[in-house]
Amino acid sequence: MSRDLRTERIQQERKQWRKDHPFGFYAKPTKKSDGSLDLHNWTAGIPGKQGTIWENATYPLTISFPEDYPAKPPKIKFPPAFYHPNVYPSGTICLSILNEEQDWRPAINIKSLLLGIQELLDTPNPNSPAQEPAWKAFSKSPEEYQKKVKLQAQQYKDKV
Amino acid sequence: MAVDSYIKKMFGEKSSQFADAKVLLVGAGGIGCELLKDLIMMNIGEIHVLDLDTIDLSNLNRQFLFRHKDIKQSKSKTAIAAVEFFNYKSKLYAYHGSVLDTNLFPLSFFKQFNIIYNALDNLEARFYMNRMCLYLNIPLYESGTTGLKGQVQPIYPYLTECFSCVPKETPKTFPVCTIRSTPSKPVHCITWAKDFLFSQLFSNEDTNTQEIDASEFTNEEEAEASKKEVNELADLKKIIANEGDNEIVIKIFEKIFIADIERLLKIEELWKSREKPSFEQIKDYDHFFKDINKEYLTTCKDQSTLEEILKTFASSLLRLTDRFKNNENIEFDKDDEDTLFFVMSASNIRSLIFNIPTKNEFDVKQIAGNIIPAVATTNAIMAGFSALSSVNYFLENDNINRVVKSKMVFDSSSTDKVVNSSKLIKPNPSCSACSIVKGIITIDLSSTTLGQLRDKLIEKYNYGDDVEIMTLDSRLLYDFDLEDNLEEKLTNFINDQTVLLINDSDEKFDLIELYVLNSQNSEIILPELNIPLKKIKPSENENDENDDDDKLLVDNEENNDIKVTVSLDDDDDLVEEQPPMKKRKF
Repeated sequence: MSRDLRTERIQQERKQWRKDHPFGFYAKPTKKSDGSLDLHNWTAGIPGKQGTIWENATYPLTISFPEDYPAKPPKIKFPPAFYHPNVYPSGTICLSILNEEQDWRPAINIKSLLLGIQELLDTPNPNSPAQEPAWKAFSKSPEEYQKKVKLQAQQYKDKV
Repeated sequence: MAVDSYIKKMFGEKSSQFADAKVLLVGAGGIGCELLKDLIMMNIGEIHVLDLDTIDLSNLNRQFLFRHKDIKQSKSKTAIAAVEFFNYKSKLYAYHGSVLDTNLFPLSFFKQFNIIYNALDNLEARFYMNRMCLYLNIPLYESGTTGLKGQVQPIYPYLTECFSCVPKETPKTFPVCTIRSTPSKPVHCITWAKDFLFSQLFSNEDTNTQEIDASEFTNEEEAEASKKEVNELADLKKIIANEGDNEIVIKIFEKIFIADIERLLKIEELWKSREKPSFEQIKDYDHFFKDINKEYLTTCKDQSTLEEILKTFASSLLRLTDRFKNNENIEFDKDDEDTLFFVMSASNIRSLIFNIPTKNEFDVKQIAGNIIPAVATTNAIMAGFSALSSVNYFLENDNINRVVKSKMVFDSSSTDKVVNSSKLIKPNPSCSACSIVKGIITIDLSSTTLGQLRDKLIEKYNYGDDVEIMTLDSRLLYDFDLEDNLEEKLTNFINDQTVLLINDSDEKFDLIELYVLNSQNSEIILPELNIPLKKIKPSENENDENDDDDKLLVDNEENNDIKVTVSLDDDDDLVEEQPPMKKRKF
């Protein structure tokens, strides 16, 4: 076993993120009840892009770093039952860069992951459906889909 | 005394030191029992034996200090009582408890020993003892066996490779989808039968449909199919509770071996690059379920024909059902025949469907019971080498350069030697344990704030700017972005015997590790440490040529260490064989 690569990398990510992160995003380790930070479990938020049906809201995520991170990707989840064609009922996101067997590379940092997920919000991948309600609406009744997404945006509305 | 003069003859005058030594033996199991006997025969002054376990029937075939009457007794206490009639001078002490328990065994407990012998059965305790020995700079003799293989590694902290220097293989786990949808090896089917089927049908915990992590499946149809299976199994539980014997067997069989497989077959994706499961080998099943006999498994234990497998399945299923109806809490136990035969027959039926070789009782017992074969002779040999390796330390401890010339012993992969040896290797420069500078900090946790600790650290170690304070389990207590905790007392975050990791924010210095000892004294006492600068991108063997330490282990022509090579023929040559792991140059 060489040094604790996971923790070392997470600290690096944290420093990088503080120096430079995209506007409207946040990502930070969760606080434990004693006031210390749990470096292996983070919370994050992704703003919906302006000019899309996802706008004016910030969507919460949890990020957990498995023991063999960065060899394996972090697990990133929306809240359960999040409405999006490529999000499983459990909140797990179906995105190739988050999949070890597909496009995950240890060099991918938190910033690119979150930007990738932001991109996915408004451009779902019709070829990998992960939940029935959003996928069906997205492919068959766009109006209903838009309505539901906007309703969800209300739920996660930015406090101005 | 005969023993004294014999030892003197073997090891020379310096062997009188044995009587002054105080050693700790961690573990009184297979290797531990043997090692205790060896240490006693060396006339070691004080031997402290520590084990958390009690004696089990299955120990008796190799842990020769224990008898049938000792079952359920403390291993360490029974072991020292059992050697009482030996003619020995050693003082013996037994401790019953976990070595990881810092209340029972704080750092100060280990400090009293000259040498520590590991005779453990798990990685966690081995890593832990390794760390303790690094803090206290105590030689550690690490040993282990599996079946006919074994190994002894002397660890001289910071001089030779420590237990964490080489990555250790962790037990294999299988992806959910392999177990549930696409098995390809017998062990996949056995895991399915034991961890999924058996526990779903008979575990008494409310069948809380465990949420399946959909991300583990590569396609969503597969995840969906898997979820359905679980729900329907919950329904089967009702069948078990209410229906008659024959219905139970047929319904369960057709659900798990027909319907579930048909559902998988519909997912075309899965079978593009794999062989499809097929019912060909089990197609006559109903024929064998005509007259079911619950006593079948007590009479027929062979599993070579379909008839035997199916009848064993029916018989074990019904026996378990009866026990379940009597509200018995059934757990899989390799020595409980009903559970073992159920798991064996179910996994074999699944194997037939997926065209995987079936397994017999012995194999299934070993795989499902996670049995690591233990051989008394291997244990005895390795315990002997462990004791012998430490003799080298006693005899040469006035010259540490000679001590690090001792050898590691391991089983041989060549055919003419049973045992082989290899030179000890230099520590791994990026080892997670021994490459990190360590020290002990004495501090009053209840009166000191985190802020005071931070200031003291910066002052003492000349950190330019600021520090990060973390615990070994990756809780971040302080860095420049987390200032809320500065006024808090340390008792809020850490205890006596916690390990802290300190980094400087400039990333100029290397990480350090501090072991916390709580004290009543208001003064913070920090250790004197020589903190190295951070290595810039560690390219490992950079300075190998001009490294002074290289002198340490060269010229081993005149070989004063104990020869540990055992040879089947009379060939006395010492053949250096590479140990089965990555080797670093000394």
